[in-house]
Formats: sequence, structure tokens, C-alpha cells
Amino acid sequence: MNKKTGLRNAGTFLFFGGPSLFAFAAVVIVPFIVGLYLTFTDWDVRTTDHSFTGFSNYAETFRDKAFLTQLWFTIKYVFFTVLLSNAAAFFIALALSRGIRGEKWLRTGFFTPNLIGGIVLGYLWQTLFSQVLPFMGEKYGWSWFETSWLTDTDTAFWALVIATAWQLAGYLMIIYIAGFSSVPADVLEAARIDGAGGRAILRKITLPLSIPAIVICVFLSVSRSFLTYDINLALTKGGPFNSTELASYHIVQKAFLSNEYGIGQAEAVVLFAVVAIIALTQSFMLKRLEVES
Amino acid sequence: MPFKKSISLALSLVVLLSVLAGCSTGNKNAKESAAPEASSPSASSGSSPSASQPAKDVKLTFFNTSAEVNTVFEELFKTYRELHPNVTIELIPTPIGGAQLEKFQSLIASGNPATIANLDPGTILQYKDKFLDLESEKAKYEQLAKPGAVDGALLDGKFLGIPWTAQGYGLLYNKRVVEEAIGGSFDPASIQTRSDLAAVLEKVEAAGKAPVMIHGADWSLGAHYLGLTYSLQTGNVEENRKFVEDLKNGSVSLTDNPQFMGLIDTFDLLKKYNARKKDPLVADYNKDSADFAKGEAAFYFMGDWTWAVVGPLEGRDQEFGIVPVPISDNPSDFGNTHVAYSEPKLFAIDNSGSTPEQQEAAKAFIEWMVTSQEGQDAIVTQMGLALPYKDVKAQGSNVISDAVAGFVDQGHVINIGVINYFPQDYWAKTGASMQKYLVEKLDRAGLAKEVEDYWKSMAGK
Repeated sequence: MNKKTGLRNAGTFLFFGGPSLFAFAAVVIVPFIVGLYLTFTDWDVRTTDHSFTGFSNYAETFRDKAFLTQLWFTIKYVFFTVLLSNAAAFFIALALSRGIRGEKWLRTGFFTPNLIGGIVLGYLWQTLFSQVLPFMGEKYGWSWFETSWLTDTDTAFWALVIATAWQLAGYLMIIYIAGFSSVPADVLEAARIDGAGGRAILRKITLPLSIPAIVICVFLSVSRSFLTYDINLALTKGGPFNSTELASYHIVQKAFLSNEYGIGQAEAVVLFAVVAIIALTQSFMLKRLEVES
Repeated sequence: MPFKKSISLALSLVVLLSVLAGCSTGNKNAKESAAPEASSPSASSGSSPSASQPAKDVKLTFFNTSAEVNTVFEELFKTYRELHPNVTIELIPTPIGGAQLEKFQSLIASGNPATIANLDPGTILQYKDKFLDLESEKAKYEQLAKPGAVDGALLDGKFLGIPWTAQGYGLLYNKRVVEEAIGGSFDPASIQTRSDLAAVLEKVEAAGKAPVMIHGADWSLGAHYLGLTYSLQTGNVEENRKFVEDLKNGSVSLTDNPQFMGLIDTFDLLKKYNARKKDPLVADYNKDSADFAKGEAAFYFMGDWTWAVVGPLEGRDQEFGIVPVPISDNPSDFGNTHVAYSEPKLFAIDNSGSTPEQQEAAKAFIEWMVTSQEGQDAIVTQMGLALPYKDVKAQGSNVISDAVAGFVDQGHVINIGVINYFPQDYWAKTGASMQKYLVEKLDRAGLAKEVEDYWKSMAGK
């Protein structure tokens, strides 16, 4: 009897969950395990043959100075991208959740960059940074924009941060709006009756009650910006002189341009570990700030 | 509450796992995404018992790294299908300057290689076991092609790819701008030394025009400009290979090498007169080519392939030519009266996952492409490329490649075949060093050291 229900339950689960489980295993779990396995080999596409080499790829990874510099560069990039995109998203969401006219249109407008692929977006910003802004800079004498931002090591970094944050902000905005709308109206009303001004309500009520949304947004933006590849490729191509190669970009170059597949894959695993540690730590720490209304 | 802990935890987990997937793109994801279009050859090979019947439908795939002419190839495939209804050819396009090799590798790794691949000779050499040895076709192509064209395409002595285009590069000039500046007719043969070049550049600047355009991309600086160092050592590819081996084992030094020093001296000169001096690394290829063609710069370090941009341009100048990049003040030094010349792309036929019928059909198609009126029209007239074959019926409009042909006919060419034996990332790595030199983040000694270090890191590979 009991066994039968168990079987039926398993059958029901397989019926509903099976297809997505299969897809998830096929495109995420299996590739990850095979990828992990390949880091211990010297696999090469030219010979499609491999032998076991132990941890030598990982040893190479930590000897690859370029990778370590780029990893540090990526961490800086993630820090500023997360800060900028979340700050922008938070305030846009705040402005667009007060019922002003045309709010829905504005929300759609801010969300649109997310629907544009990273490559297209990268080329758009490239034109902006290396053609439009220098042109205007020259015309109106803005010394900041007289040369392209993409040809200088420092400004190219900020160009990358701005373009990514611009894309991310719209997505995070939606989550913040959902978070704000889940702040109970009675609490807000009570605060107002108690004489709290707009700023006090924001600081004392809205912000603490939106911590779950902030946790998710920070987590999403951290993990997404760590893995930025397409914008990097289209906007700077790692240039000038490889100074803006993010970790993912460096890994792809290592594997497919320099033909060091094992090392590239090992670097990808290291990147994964870094992302996992940082993302989990921050969401664990932020979650402790959560309060119940 | 929509944002309960459990939900956010589940969400976190999903995102984290998708992070895993992102990391392992290494080969698996690429394989998956490459599968749909590449599954066609295996589909047709599945139904191959009737191998002897020539009327059987054959489906070929064509991997193209000459991305700028994707559409011309597609038209050509349509024409071929009208003439040979049983042969279907499908294009596997790649983006210009994009992830071309990555795509090629994923096709090979997933066991679904393209039947025909239009690749750089260096790539063919790296994957030489995957391609069909065309020894049996060699004699025929030696008859069809211009003298030396087949020899130039040999890789480690083997005929693995069929040449279909020849390109030359050097200092292109805009005739109108140069002649207005010097106040008379300009003879390209008058540039034989660095001082000759300096004199002309000075006159152009005095006339208020930008003298020379340096395209700041890594491929132009690393592969084409700095790449001349290796090809200028001698006229013999084997000896140039030995020079690079010596660089790898550290027994030669670039700062003691007259060719390298001469090239960089000339580079300093070009840098001084660079039209893009203000912001040298913007490297917008279309804009640089168009500005040169419209007369905003007198000289342009580039090759005849830029006709693809220049040719269809409205309001451009009409006459262009090419002069060598002089590396010294002695006119008889190798390179001062020579332009770099190569067969940059070859058609290779897959031998790792294609059926014999597909290979035969591929051979027939390639031969048709380089010998038929339609094929030659496509290559010479529409793509604007030089076809290194004897009996070319089509008329091209590419005046730059005509100028290169002038040097070729006199035998005044630099054979840059040595680059075919280089690691695939050499241009990106040494190109980055050249970019640093261009914006003065590196001095000459620093440049030499970075380039030497790159080669040393390649020792034994």
C-alpha cells in the first residue's frame, strides 16, 4: 500500500519535474562534471585525445600572473557594478512606485536594455564612447570626452562598469518595485499617522522591509557581473592592450585562442569558487539584517 | 510575504547553479549550440548506402572565416545549386573579427565538422590531421594556378588547402592627396628608403593634410606590422622559421636585430605623422578606411582587402596605390622595394567526419569556384579579391590589388609564409605590446622585451 503511493508520488514528480530536471542535468550538471573532469587532463581539440595530468592545470592557473591580475580586476569591476546598478535601480524603483503618470511606460523603458543582447549593447556603447562623445567633446570643449574612453586603461574600466550597470539596473528595478509593493500599507499608514516624513519612512520602514529584495538584487548582480563576457567582447575586446579583460574573457582567450584548454577550464573552476564564496557570504550576511513587519 | 527566506534561498541556488553552467562553457555548451546546424552532414551520411550513384543528393557545409563576404558565398551556393540540383551547400557564417576559431573548434570537438572550411593556413596546419590530403589534385592545380601559387600554399610540404585569394599589404597611398602635397606626379618607385618616405610625409603635413593613418588594432600592429620582423629576416620561409626558433630559445635578441630596429625606426616616423595621433587606439576599421579613401590621410598602413570598404564608398577618391614599408636608408636592403604578399585563406576539405561523396562533391565545387565564370565573377568582381589563377575571365575593380600585382609580377614580394607556423595567439599578444608602444606606455627596450618574453614562453610548444 505504502509502496504504491510512493511509486505514484515518484511518477507524479517525474511527470511534472522530469522534463525540466532532464534539461537542467543535460545543460548544467553534466557539462559541469565533465568540465571538472577535463581540468585534470591535457585534453586538446586538435588531437581530441587526453591523458591524466593531476593538478598541474591548477598549478599553472596560480602561476598565470595575467589571470590573477584579471581576477583582481574583475573583483573591482564587480564591486563598482553592483554598487552603481543597485543604487540606480533602487532610486528608479522608488521614483516609479509612487503612481506618477506614465509610470508603466517608464518601467518598460528602463527594463528594455535587458531585452537587448549584450553584444548589440556593447556595440551601441562603443559607438557612443568612441564616436559620439568625442565628437561632442570636441564641439563643446568637454575635455573629459575629447578622446575615446575605450582607449585608456582607467576610463575603459569605467566604460565597462557604466554599460553593465545600465543594463542590469532595469532588471533589478523590477525586483525592487516588487519588494516595495510588498511593504504592508498598514505599517506605512501607521508611520504617517505617527508623523514620520518621507525620508524617515524610507529609512525606518521601506528600507528594512525591503532587505529581502536587496539580498536578491545584490546576489543577482554579483553573480551576473562576475560572469560578464558579451559586453566585454563587444565594448573593449579586452583592450587597450588586454587591460580590461574580465576573468571570463581571459578564460575564453586562454582556452580557444592560446589552445590551453585544461588551464582555461581550471581557471573557470577557480572563478566559480570565487563567485560562490563571495555570493554566498554576502547573501548570508545581508540576510541577518532581515526583519519581520 | 513574497520574499520569504525559503524562496530567496531557492532562487539563490538556481542562480548559483547557472553560474556553474556558465563556467563550464569551455567545451560542452559550445558543443550543444553547434549541434543543430552541423547535424546536417551526419544526417545525409546516415543514408549513404547508394554511394556509387552520383545523382544522390549531397549536402555540404561551408565554414567561412572571410566573414565580410558571407553574402557573396551564399549567392554562389544558390547559383551552384541551380547548375547541380543534387548538391546543397549550407553556409556556416562567422562574425567579422569575432569568435571564429572558437566556433570552428566546437564543430570539430562535437564531431560535426564542416565539409569545406575557408581558413587561415596556420589554422589548417594546426588541425592538419583533420583535413583531406589533396596530393592527387596538386598537379591539376599547378596547371591552373599562377606560378608559385600552389607552392605558397603548401604546409609542411603537404597540399591541404586550395588557394583562392592573394593579398598584399604595405603603405597604401591616396594618389590625389600625395600629388597635391608634393605638387607633381608621384612615382611609387621613388620610395626606396626611410628618408624618401620621411620627405614625402613632411611635404604632406606641410600641405595641411594628415600624412599617415595607423590603424590601432592588435591584428594590424601585431600580425601585419611587427609580423614583418620575422618575414624580413631572409626571403626563405624555412630560415625565417629558424629565426623564430632562436627567439624562443633566447639565442637572438631583437634589439641587436637590424630588421626589427629598422622597422621600429620607421614606426616611430609613422607615429610622428599619425593621423590618429590624438587617440591612436580607437581602431574603427570602417572609419579609418573610409577617411583614407576620402583623402583625409595620404598614406594608410593596410592591405588590398580594404577595398571591400573602399570600393562601394560614395564620394571617395579614385586612384590608390601601394609603396613598401622601408626599413633602412639603403635601397638594396630586403624589404625596401618589396611588399608583403600571401595567400591568406585556403579552402580545405574535412577528413574527420565527411563521407567520400561529400569530399568528391566538395572538390568539384571548389574547382568550379576558381575556374568557372560565375565563381571568378564572385571572387574577383564582387569580393574585389585577387585570384591567383592564370585564366581569369572576370574583371575586377580593386585598384589596390592591381598595384600589388605590379610588385608580384616583378617578383618584389616578401613571402610572409612564416606566420603560418606561429601559435594562434601571437598577434593578440604581441599586438598588445605594439599598442602599448604606440601610446608610449612602453619604450623600445620594453617592447623588445615583451615580444621576446612572449616567444620564450612558447619554447617547446
